[in-house]
Amino acid sequence: MDFALTDDQVLLRDTARVLLANECPPSLVRAHMNDPDAADGLWTHMRDFAAVGSGSAVDLCLFLEETGYVAAPGPFFATTALFAPLLDALDSDLLEAALAGELTGTLALAGADGSWCPNAGPVKTFVPEADRVDRVAVVGPGPAVTIAESPPVRFIETVDSSRRLFEVDTTGLEGPTSPIDAAAVESIVDRATLGVAAEMVGTARRLFDMTLRYAKERVQFDQPIGSFQAVQHKLADMALDLERSWSAVYYAAMTIDAADTERHRAVPVAKAAAGEAAKRCAKDGIQIHGGIGYTWEHDLHLFIRRAYASEHFLGTTGWHHDRIADLLFS
Amino acid sequence: MHLAWGPDEERFRAELVAFIDEHAPPEARVRRDFAGTDGEPGSEILPRWAREWQATLFDHGWMIPGYPPELGGRDCTPVQTLVYLEEMAARAIPRSLHFPGYAIVAPSLLEFGTEAQRALAPAAIRGDTVWCIGMSEPDAGSDLAALQTRAEVHDDHFVVSGQKVWTSYAMVAQQCFCYVRTDPSAPKHQGISLLIIDMSTPGIEIRPLRQFTGASDFAEVFFTDVVVPRDNLVGALNDGWRITQGSLAHERAGLWVEGVARLEQTIAGLVDLARRRGVADDPIVRRRIAEGYQRAASLRALGYKGFTSYAQGSSAPEHSYMKMATAELGKTLFELGTDLQGPYGAVVDAQRAEEEGRWIRSFFITFANTIAGGTSEIQRNIIAQRVLGLPRA
Repeated sequence: MDFALTDDQVLLRDTARVLLANECPPSLVRAHMNDPDAADGLWTHMRDFAAVGSGSAVDLCLFLEETGYVAAPGPFFATTALFAPLLDALDSDLLEAALAGELTGTLALAGADGSWCPNAGPVKTFVPEADRVDRVAVVGPGPAVTIAESPPVRFIETVDSSRRLFEVDTTGLEGPTSPIDAAAVESIVDRATLGVAAEMVGTARRLFDMTLRYAKERVQFDQPIGSFQAVQHKLADMALDLERSWSAVYYAAMTIDAADTERHRAVPVAKAAAGEAAKRCAKDGIQIHGGIGYTWEHDLHLFIRRAYASEHFLGTTGWHHDRIADLLFS
Repeated sequence: MHLAWGPDEERFRAELVAFIDEHAPPEARVRRDFAGTDGEPGSEILPRWAREWQATLFDHGWMIPGYPPELGGRDCTPVQTLVYLEEMAARAIPRSLHFPGYAIVAPSLLEFGTEAQRALAPAAIRGDTVWCIGMSEPDAGSDLAALQTRAEVHDDHFVVSGQKVWTSYAMVAQQCFCYVRTDPSAPKHQGISLLIIDMSTPGIEIRPLRQFTGASDFAEVFFTDVVVPRDNLVGALNDGWRITQGSLAHERAGLWVEGVARLEQTIAGLVDLARRRGVADDPIVRRRIAEGYQRAASLRALGYKGFTSYAQGSSAPEHSYMKMATAELGKTLFELGTDLQGPYGAVVDAQRAEEEGRWIRSFFITFANTIAGGTSEIQRNIIAQRVLGLPRA
């Protein structure tokens, strides 16, 4: 069990970190709230990294952790964590364009109940970026995949505008259909679930960093509030959740890369641990910020919104605990 | 990043497993929720099998594998040491039932002792000499540096008077690794020295301390004008605090392994218990057990992450988190075990209790785990100040 990053992985992480700090400031996330076009420029930078959509899950997580840190909007997650793995499983000739960042896409799978399993329902839910990507891959019963261009979509408004979600109406959808192995669909969903967990660790780290800095700077009773034990203990607990969720995510990524059966447990562990970290860092983060954190002007809420929307995307913490329970009691 | 250990580590593991299969006595293979005694009043502190097992480990180079053979090891790499700790923990086999000698005294003597003092290390590791540690006092608990046991300094000896408390193994120890105040006028961290005190010296009185569980694992130790030779000073005069900071560091990059393995074994026990009690289909029970599993699994991953940093030579902060987190989670899990039994949760009689009252008894013992060796609150202070860089109040 070796958590050491290779030189290439360190380079990938550091490059992503610098790129996204420059190209995705909070002002862009705010501008994107009212105008989705505002993130188009960001995609022209991020598309160069679309190749993480295939191959090492560790590499994918390293990049997505940084996109979560800046609450990056746009088609990157949908294309690399959902669409490209599906094309890969189909051995589709569109894959090359997707990995080159020349073709964006998303996945329409979850049914009306929001569960990410192949189903016969005509309406697919929680489909990210469905209105703006080049292709929507619809997984129907069988399971079988239809790759559609511009199917009818309806916006689902959530508290977070940085990940835009849609319903896709697949009634009367035309186009060639390819069968896909049910186990392959499960692997794609597992990989995407881990991808969200990696993003959430990044978002949690952002909330933590902002809060730690504030606790060191903000003076009350003539001293930094970070010198008070009540504040210190909250930050220590946030740091613990952050550390263990980071570790759970990369452990799960290693089990996927090694095709180890342990991945069936490790993925829900990672998403649930990331959920606990993100929610704790959101709640204690705003508490330690006090009144200023409750303002629209302060950036904290951008990341709290992303954290909670991610918690409910691809299975809540409780849902993943139930999945773990099914394995423990099987 | 990669999941598996290499073939060298797996060969090493196979060699260890063969040794355990051949030599480990049946008593060492019995699951214990916590090291030390079973918490039963009157149970023997250091049973004969445990002393023989420790000596066997030493003689075969399996006691502290990272040490050279003359110190009970085989010059293992850090990764091999981790594999060793993993394998022992997975089988719940204790190395020793008394940790002070091999885990604290020997490493400290080897680092800070004179040549004559270093020569005491092998017997401490083999368990031939039983050591206790004189640290906590009635008015020096979390604030350990406030200790007041006084040692007057004379030309060729010290005269020690005062009281220690929570002293594990004092009733059976031959030697005490004792922190004393040698300069009352200096700032509190700077007036402390470390002495080796022979427990048979006149003036030492040991009173076993019966604790909450009913067992007596600890003692109060009273020193009245105890004469200690000058040669028994470890390190420099008034420089003992530095040794308290260093003594717990040995093997710490891997010490979490046992704690995490115990959590995992407890979770497996909860699954069995839920089945026996007919609550295995209760969604709340299932979710609570799964939550425990998630936390233990993420802590195992964090432990490995910390170990990776340590093996690369960086000082890893992860160990600061592991003690607090494993102690707190253990408490939660054993309490859950009592909850699952409903009206029978507090029953300990042999006819009616699940596993002879294991869950409630062990739950009570876990109260000690978030207090001893630095309370969870002190651990959070350490994380906040030393890891996160927050200012002191």
